[in-house]
Amino acid sequence: MRVVKALTTGARQFAAEATIVALLEKPRYGMVRKHPRSRVAILRAESYSQKLFEILRCGLDLFHLDLLGKTVLLKPNLVDYIPGNHINTHPLLVSAAIECFRGLGVASVIVGEGPGHQRDTDLVLLESGMAEALHHQKVRFVDLNRDELIECPLLADYTGLKRLWLPRTILEADFIVSMPKVKTHHWSGVSLSMKNMFGVVPGAKYGWPKNILHCTGIERSILDICATVPVHFVIADGIIAMEGNGPLNGAPRALGQIILADDPVAADATCARLMGFDPEKIAHIRAGAQFLGNSSVAEIGQIGEALQAPKAAFALVKSFAYLRVPQTS
Amino acid sequence: MRDQQEVHDECARLLIEAQLPEGGWPFISNGRQMAIEPTALALLALPSNLNYEREAAIRALVRTQSANGSWPAFCGDDSHGSGYTGLAAYALSRCREQEMAASRALRWLLQFQGRESHWLWRLKFRTTDRHVRFNPGKFGWPWMPETMSWVFPTAYSLVALRSVHGNWQKRLRESRIRSGIEMLQDRICPGGGWNAGNSVVYESSLAPHPDATAVALLALAGEPSSACVTASLDWLERRGESLSTPWSMAWTILALRKFNRPIQSLADRLCTFALDTEIRDCATAAVVCLALERDNSPNAFMEQS
Repeated sequence: MRVVKALTTGARQFAAEATIVALLEKPRYGMVRKHPRSRVAILRAESYSQKLFEILRCGLDLFHLDLLGKTVLLKPNLVDYIPGNHINTHPLLVSAAIECFRGLGVASVIVGEGPGHQRDTDLVLLESGMAEALHHQKVRFVDLNRDELIECPLLADYTGLKRLWLPRTILEADFIVSMPKVKTHHWSGVSLSMKNMFGVVPGAKYGWPKNILHCTGIERSILDICATVPVHFVIADGIIAMEGNGPLNGAPRALGQIILADDPVAADATCARLMGFDPEKIAHIRAGAQFLGNSSVAEIGQIGEALQAPKAAFALVKSFAYLRVPQTS
Repeated sequence: MRDQQEVHDECARLLIEAQLPEGGWPFISNGRQMAIEPTALALLALPSNLNYEREAAIRALVRTQSANGSWPAFCGDDSHGSGYTGLAAYALSRCREQEMAASRALRWLLQFQGRESHWLWRLKFRTTDRHVRFNPGKFGWPWMPETMSWVFPTAYSLVALRSVHGNWQKRLRESRIRSGIEMLQDRICPGGGWNAGNSVVYESSLAPHPDATAVALLALAGEPSSACVTASLDWLERRGESLSTPWSMAWTILALRKFNRPIQSLADRLCTFALDTEIRDCATAAVVCLALERDNSPNAFMEQS
């Protein structure tokens, strides 16, 4: 039995390594958005409360963002609503982000999302409490699944798709903020700021779920989308994260942190470390570090709280168990 | 509380105002890009006395039909075909003198199938990729070529193919209908109802959605009564009580009405919140129109067998 288990684990790890090697083998990108150094701030936030505005405002101050007159698009993670499951970016965090960006003198803040599973976006908004938060903030919400579409050449070629139809609202935004829920994912290992960008791919064209992105390879699709739609900033909701069988049916995991970053790869690598995973083993982070941002600790300027691995790594479905950093005793 | 007729007429008015000069509809009422789903739903929903609007919609659908008989997802999209073809074909098949366009579309539908219909993919899903519980031997229609079968496009295609009578392509048609019905029955969520098409992943059940459940039930109407249909209707009835969005509620009413379940309290609630939510989505406005049709003017989905 032990031999079979070892062989199965070995085979999975081998397959994962093969995917990474295939992605790294030949550069398939037509742009480099990577800066010499990225900045990530880990902010302590024990619960969802009105204090989030103050915490987030202090965190954003550390980045000295110049957004005067810009159109800011917040892209939270809204997948579906299941009572009791921490699936979506919390409405209070989105609300706090809206207020903070307004305070920075932006021309407008828009919230946009195209849920990948549920066709009735209004239902997800309403039942998750997001509709109330957005109504309270008097902010415009755009259902990216049903927005007007423009055909765009992809700036990387990992999927072979060459082009994607993308929502006009996304393409016209000056500053895109990816606001993922920190969680594990049964197809991609983790769902963080880069995977969150699947939500910009319109369901009206690609269907529910956006199956073409799975068929051409999730890691590859993440790279092509993030190359084409720049993520300028990340606010990751790790206050109550999700572990296990994410993105829908995982268990809540109190992490008590918000992660801010000016680079999606650095944000995701940091989140992975906070979850007890090795980012070098996550194919889209490792390949993304070639051209979309920085993943190594040496290239990331850590501000705010210190980066600490958890006492116990996040639970994962078996096929991604190899992501865990081995415990040293 | 507002009168059903009043809400129906208001949604019809929104459709008239949002109709594009070329005859189709965008998703969002102030949009400019014609999309097939809202256009087909609007054509099904528009009252028969609106001849000018209906004729323009028919012309728009005929114009956007691809050479292979399919429809794209929206105007300007590529011409390989989309999961909205069944809906557009069904909408056109109900219009006089459009048999040619509808039959070209139906012919395409008979050939268009989920990727799992290929033996190599079936083998993959039976051996190495078994995290999603489904039978790849039972396939329907995908949203776009080279992808898997999903509930909405399968249901739309079934509605179109099941509306055809007579001997036209009988053997193939019946085989595809049977396979599509079996695919829906296979993808049902434990406890009843459907979502996009994944019912159990990594041994965890996924929750059903009202709109997908309703559209699947409409596609299965006329089939011999089964435990899965009854369970889904029961689930939809219970879910309807807590719904407060027009799209899901309108689809729920359409399905429950088709199966002779009581809908009056749901229709009353739909009228109440239809005003509060200020419907701006043309596909939603069209489905609300269909759901609030008076009993003496049965809507397109009531007539379909």
